[in-house]
Parts: sequence; structure tokens; C-alpha cells
Amino acid sequence: MNDLICQLTEAYGPSGFEDAVRSLLRSVVTPLADEVRVTPLGSLVAVRRGTGNGRRIVLAAHMDEIGVMVTYVDEKGFLRFTPIGGVSPLTCLGARVRFENGTLGVIGSEKREDPGKAPTFEQLYIDVGATGRDDCPVRVGDAAVFERPFAVQGRRLVAKAMDDRIGCAVLVETLRRLGPTPHEVHFVFSVQEETTLSGARTAAYGIEPDMAIAVDVTGTGDTPESRPMAVELGKGPAIKVQDAGMIAHPTVREWLVRAAEAAGIPYQMEVLEWGTTDAAAMQLVRSGVPSGCLSIPCRYIHTPSEMVDQEDVEGAVRLLLHALQTA
Amino acid sequence: METLQLLKQLSEAPGLPGHEEPVRALVRTLWTPLVDEIHIDGLGSLLGRRRGSGPEPRPTLMFAAHMDEIGLRVVAIERGFLRVARVGGTDRRILPGTEVLVHGERDLPGVVGMRPPHVVPPDRRDKTLPWEELFVDVGLPEEELKAVVRVGDPISFRREAVELKNGLLAGKALDNRVSVAVLTLALEHLSRTSPTWDVVAVATVQEEVGLYGATTAAYGVAPDIAVAVDVTFGRQAGVPNHRAFPLGEGIAIGVGPNFHPAMVERLKRTAEANEIPYHIDPIPGRSGTDAWAIQVSREGVPTGLVSVPLRYMHQPVETVSLKDVERAGRLLALFAAGLEADFRPRWEDE
Repeated sequence: MNDLICQLTEAYGPSGFEDAVRSLLRSVVTPLADEVRVTPLGSLVAVRRGTGNGRRIVLAAHMDEIGVMVTYVDEKGFLRFTPIGGVSPLTCLGARVRFENGTLGVIGSEKREDPGKAPTFEQLYIDVGATGRDDCPVRVGDAAVFERPFAVQGRRLVAKAMDDRIGCAVLVETLRRLGPTPHEVHFVFSVQEETTLSGARTAAYGIEPDMAIAVDVTGTGDTPESRPMAVELGKGPAIKVQDAGMIAHPTVREWLVRAAEAAGIPYQMEVLEWGTTDAAAMQLVRSGVPSGCLSIPCRYIHTPSEMVDQEDVEGAVRLLLHALQTA
Repeated sequence: METLQLLKQLSEAPGLPGHEEPVRALVRTLWTPLVDEIHIDGLGSLLGRRRGSGPEPRPTLMFAAHMDEIGLRVVAIERGFLRVARVGGTDRRILPGTEVLVHGERDLPGVVGMRPPHVVPPDRRDKTLPWEELFVDVGLPEEELKAVVRVGDPISFRREAVELKNGLLAGKALDNRVSVAVLTLALEHLSRTSPTWDVVAVATVQEEVGLYGATTAAYGVAPDIAVAVDVTFGRQAGVPNHRAFPLGEGIAIGVGPNFHPAMVERLKRTAEANEIPYHIDPIPGRSGTDAWAIQVSREGVPTGLVSVPLRYMHQPVETVSLKDVERAGRLLALFAAGLEADFRPRWEDE
């Protein structure tokens, strides 16, 4: 599974430019699913038919990652940029970014009155090594992602875009190991979660599910002087109760809890006080879809070094597999 | 019709969010001879369908431009003056000294005045007036005023559009009547050709307060693809170059997650093939235009955005270049006319 996670996290895919990730996932899920299609906005949907009398269930993980977009190329070939999704200027200083055409860029900063204070995006620029507009290999509107290799450190995995390629990996692994189930399961690899949640929203409209579950990362409260939160790395996948965008439907939440209890999988209950997931958008589709979220605890979210625990990832796959065997 | 006259008429017609009747009546007159069907949807958007020449079921291209404008609303009548609140992004710094039209039982011209500077304490002279100190005066005594004006009545800016040098026009509501003009010009061009696809032009309502008109119109039309037309920042002092585009030097095409790459490519190629100058407008998330509401309609609609650069946004002196308006109209028409019967926006990995 780590090979897949490595490939997925190192792939290029900022919101709105998910082609490479979709292409990779499509080749992986096509032999495993009964049907594979792409929605008008670009989300990939892999369907596994049920054996009958089950529900139509969506499992959604997003393919897109945060990044930056070029807004201006100056006469010396330096690029001004704007964030795609929740990028912090703090993580930009000294960072390397990679464009779709392979161009590597380094982020620099103008001189600042107080170097101890975080810069604003207006003070930052990307240097791709160009000497002017003419030899600049990227153009206004081109997008880039942070450049950082995947690493395994004991039980922990570190990479950029673990949010939410780890969710994509959980979905693929669940599909791979899934035996006959009464449910019709739609594995949705959504676009544009980091900006607008619009990929999952529109995919869910087309699917008309009876239940929807997002598989995404969540924060932890287990690092030095962190914001208090009762989720820790390595204590099992987290079953969401509430986040800043939704309250999980109680039937979905308890369906996941029962599966974890029955299979003896360690799990944690999650209340996230900031951020949200595709589930928030899916629950509002049509006349409403009971929705919930299974979360992978993750440290350093929205930095280029997002860290998860392999046991939590494995636990999430097993939990989903067990749940899908139950009514 | 001449672009200048078309734009002047559209600019001067009142049409606040939820109160678009006057501008809608004008657009209906303009569009009726150019389309095969025309109707108003449940929220008030105007939809004109030009049937294509291809075999049924034909795919549908939707064009959307919002016809509502920002303005004011009566919230109280006090001692013969109207206390007001803003509707949409009206900036109260520009209110003192403006002429307005109060849409009561009948339309009444009014003015927004303030205390003579002579009697304002020196430490307050440079301050922006709070809403509590801004009133509309129509000249009527309280009792007569109450007979004509009710709380809730809309108030629009009253401003004759004026031609500036170099093919520029300044006026109120050019955000986004300029795009309604673009759709009108596109329909005119299309009336002389025979596109394969159905083309539905929509003058949407209530964009300025939440993209509501485009939300319901896109649901109703269920288009296969769509292009929204709106304004973007024109280059002016105090706006960084990377956020604005020069007037008269071409239109802007939006790039980013809100827009399907195949739509962007096709708009660019159509512009290039027809020598229509354009800029790329990088938009990293939801665009804040009708394009976003349309994109997430139903199962999702591949959408593009064409913008006309405009200076002084949300002020009654919004300024655009007539040349850019004509270019956008031509681009839309050429885009629609060039759609093959089997065109479908594809992804790079398909």
C-alpha cells in the first residue's frame, strides 16, 4: 500500500488541475470496479454493484491538494502568486514548488520591516530561474504544488498532499479487498475539495446516494503545545461527530462505531473545531443525504510535511470493509 | 443597434436585486426578435433560447450575465427623509452628492446630501459618514412622502451614461449591464448564422446578493456547457497590475478550478483564430460570479468565464471600453457557432 501512497502523494494535482491524479487512480481502480466514469467536473467514480437489498453508499476522498497559482510575471521573470486553498505564507518561505510542466520554483520574499513576522502573500514571489518574461517557462494562470518526497519513518508516513491522497489510498485498498456486499458502493475521487467542495457535491447529485461518507484527514491534539483536541496519531481512525461545516448524521456515525466495535478496531471520536470535508457538501445535495466522515488523524495539515500513522490507515480500511458487510 | 446606444440604455435602466422589472423589460424587447423562445423563470431571470440546427436531442450552451445592479433600500422614513441600507456591495463613501431614483408608488428623483462642511467639526471632516448620517431627500413633506414611499422600496442610482474619449463609456450599473450588452451582441451575430447547438442566453437576477438567479436558471436549463460573462478590474491607479487589465486592449478569460480546462482552451483558441486580444485572469477558487453557481448545478456543468475590464467597480461612474464589449460579443458568437454537434469538454487524461 505504501507504493500506492508514495505515487499518489508525489503526483501533481492542485484544485482544478487533477488530471494526473485522476489518470493514476483510473488505471488502478478500472480492473477492480464494475463501472468507472468521470463526472462533468472531473471527479472519478468507481462503482461496485451490490448483491441486492442494500443501500447506495458513497465513499468520497478528494484528489486535489492545496497549491499556488501565478498571477503575474514581472520583467525580470519573477512570478507573483496567489494561494489555491488554505496555504499559509509561513510554509511558503524557502519552499520549492513544482508546476505541471515540470518547472521547479523557489519561493522568496521581499525585504520585510520585521523579519520576525510572517510575510503576506503580496511580499512573496516564485523564482523559476528565468531572467525575463521571454524565457519564463510558466505563464499567468499556471498552478504549482509544493515539492516534497514521500518518506516512511517507522509507523509514520510523511508527505505533501497526504490530505487527501491518503483518503484516496484508503478507498482504493477498500475497493481492492471488498468481497460481495449487499450495498451498491460508489467510490468517489472528488475534485476541488480544497477550494469549494464542488466535486463531491456535484458527483453526489448524479449518484443520488442513500448515505455518504467522506474519508479525509483530521487534526490531532498530540503535539507540543497544540490546540486541544482529543485525537491522537496511532490511536485508530476517527469517527467524526462534528466539524466547522457539518454535524455527522447519527445513523452514519453509529454505523461506523458499530463496525469498529464488532471488528475490534481501535477508533476515536472526533470533534474538529476548524475545517470541514466533502461530507458537508454531500449532505445538502437534493433533499439531503445522511452523511458522515471517517478521518485519518494527521499532523501538520496544509504544510508540505503531513504525517499519518500506518496503523490508522490500515484500521480505516478494515473498518470500512466491516461496515460494508453490515446492513 | 449601435453598441454605444445599446450600452447607454442598459446602463440607465433601473434594476436592483429582486426588483429587476425595468431592466428585464428592456432586455426582453432587445432579445425577442433574436431568439425562438423567451421566458422568465421562477426567480425572475430572463431566458432566451435560440434553437440550433443539429438533430434532436440537441446539446445546450448557456450564456449568463447578471442584470441586477447594486443600490439602496428604504429602511425607515424619518421627518420627511429616507433612511437607507445598502443592497449588494454599495460603498457609502461615494453616496454624499449622488442623485438617486426612489422606486415608490411612482419613481421619485432624490439626492443624498450631508451637512455643509462649514458646520462639521474639524476632526470629523475627513471621516466617512456612517449609515446613520446618510439620508435620501426627495423633497416631499413627511405625510405626502409616506403616501408614495414605503419601507423596503428600492433606490437606484440616477446617472446618465457619458461617453469619454478614446471609446470609453462611464455610467452606473455597467457591472454587469456591459455583459448583458455582450449577450445581446452575441445573439445578433448568431441571428445571421446557424449554430448546431441550442444557445440559451440568460439575464440573471440577484447576482449581487448571492448568485441566486444563476443558481436556479442553471438548474432549469440543465445546460451541457456554459459561459458566464461578467466584469473584472480595469487597470487604474492604486490597483496592482497583476490584479487588473488595461481597458480597450482585450477581454479576459478566467483560468482556475471554477473553469473547465477544455472550455478555457476553446475560448482561447476561438479568440486567437479571430484575432480577438485576450488576457488570462487567474482565479484560484470560486470566482464570485455566476460561473460558480452554474458550475456546481446538478451533476456539474463545464463552465467558462469571459470578463470585460472595468474601472471604478461599484461606483456610479463605472468605465468600460466599447471595443472590449464588441470583442466579447463576437467571441461568444464565434464560440457558439463553432461548436460541433458532438463536442464535449474532455479531460487531459481522456
